[in-house]
Amino acid sequence: MTDARHHRQQILTEVGDAGQRRLERAAVAIVGIGGLGSPVALYLAAAGVGRLGLVDDQDVELSNLNRQIIFEECDVGRPKVEAAAGRLLLLDAGLRIDARHENVRASNVASLFADYDLVVDGTDAFETKFLLNDAAVMLRKPLVHGAVLRWGGQVTTVLPDGPCLRCLFREPPEPGDVQTCEEAGIIGAATGIVGSVQAEEALKVLLRVGNPLSGRIFQHDGLLGETRTTMFPRDPDCPVCSSRARITDLARYEEQVSPRGHVLV
Amino acid sequence: MAERSLTPEQRQRYARHLTLAEVGAAGQQRLLRSRVLIVGVGALGSPVALYLAAAGVGTIGLADHDRVRLSNLQRQVIHSMDGLNRAKVDGAARTVGALNPDIKVETVGETVDKGNAMGLLGRYDVIVDGTDSFRARYLLSDAAYLLRKPLVHGSIFRIEGQVTVFVPGRGCYRCLYPEPPPAGAIEESEDVGVFAALPGIIGTIQAAETIKLIIGVGDGLVNRVLLHDTMAMTFREVRYRRNRACPVCGDRPTVLGLVDYDAFVGVEARS
Repeated sequence: MTDARHHRQQILTEVGDAGQRRLERAAVAIVGIGGLGSPVALYLAAAGVGRLGLVDDQDVELSNLNRQIIFEECDVGRPKVEAAAGRLLLLDAGLRIDARHENVRASNVASLFADYDLVVDGTDAFETKFLLNDAAVMLRKPLVHGAVLRWGGQVTTVLPDGPCLRCLFREPPEPGDVQTCEEAGIIGAATGIVGSVQAEEALKVLLRVGNPLSGRIFQHDGLLGETRTTMFPRDPDCPVCSSRARITDLARYEEQVSPRGHVLV
Repeated sequence: MAERSLTPEQRQRYARHLTLAEVGAAGQQRLLRSRVLIVGVGALGSPVALYLAAAGVGTIGLADHDRVRLSNLQRQVIHSMDGLNRAKVDGAARTVGALNPDIKVETVGETVDKGNAMGLLGRYDVIVDGTDSFRARYLLSDAAYLLRKPLVHGSIFRIEGQVTVFVPGRGCYRCLYPEPPPAGAIEESEDVGVFAALPGIIGTIQAAETIKLIIGVGDGLVNRVLLHDTMAMTFREVRYRRNRACPVCGDRPTVLGLVDYDAFVGVEARS
């Protein structure tokens, strides 16, 4: 039996009744409810993912609204997780939403991963992106990474035993080497494309269908209208997912990572 | 100079555009002065309307005859439960108005057809096709070409979708697909599945292409179709040209006005 709300995806062979039940039973954490988190949360809620953890410690600002389409102007000043939870419940009052008004740090990342089946990275700080990657590898949970700047962005999916973000980019860039969205600017639609790809990836991993972007990175340049997907292997010297890993313990994360001076407390 | 004519609130709201070299204050002014018509406020129209409203497209026209149904909410993220059984254009207008009260929304709660298409499309700078039927796609393509307006085409089917931009004189939907598929060959009904986030990708690319057309930057998806497969997570580009024998935009056009599109996609296809 299909339910009326999800009929159009339940009749897909890739989803079906069993897939829809799998989505209903799934719990996904979305870290960062901004440009990426907006479409990720909307599409996962629409698809019927039963429980969504929204993690963000910021409040909505007017300058968010050129891209963060989950909010309304009257939300300015409210915690993002609260405003987003309200919007998702208008879409489907039957969803379970955990509004976690907090930042992800080395000290709480393990408990976050323990509570959910999959984590989507919608953050805008490289340090947090690498922390999520390292935690995903150590705790063997799938992570859908996404990043955006100006007119484009990238997505890759880190699965247990697959290549990780550090196989591709060994270390986060030095602070100051890469411009932030605030400095460089961002087109809202770029976050929409990358966030929607992340939502597709999360759904595929939960449904166990299709080919996720494991060992592949999707890169999109909206200005040129160009999109490419590049394969990458596991790095035998990867500092986190290889047999020679030196980053192995979240409890000692700061001292393992600190040679580069990135403080993650 | 141009930046001074933005209000302090606009400078905050569009701050991330003002630092982008390709947009800046002049580009933002162009967006604020532009008029875009979105035909179909469903799966594709949802992200198109949300992202164009967020970007500050000054006037957005929303055209759809349909009402919101529960089965729409699996992918049409502009709508919500309180809009159930109400006109899609009204629900969508409320959502984009709440996101950005700085813009104007015009709603047309009727089917775009041969009778009203020219008058309606003629009032806008760019047309976005968010419809789900071949009848509407040929109608919008012909009308946009006859009015010499750019048309941002998008379509989705099950787990696949495509986007391209038709700029008058550089090809139209008929150049890409001279004939509609045989009636019945491709289902257009509630019985065709759609993967939830797929329209998010296609619709958002349509929004990005529209913004580029308005500001006049970047390389548009003109003479190329971007094809996306969500399960394989692949994107493929196929190039096409204006068909010199196209009955609408070719060298010796024979279609000089709108035709009967029900007959074109139905009767003619079966013959």
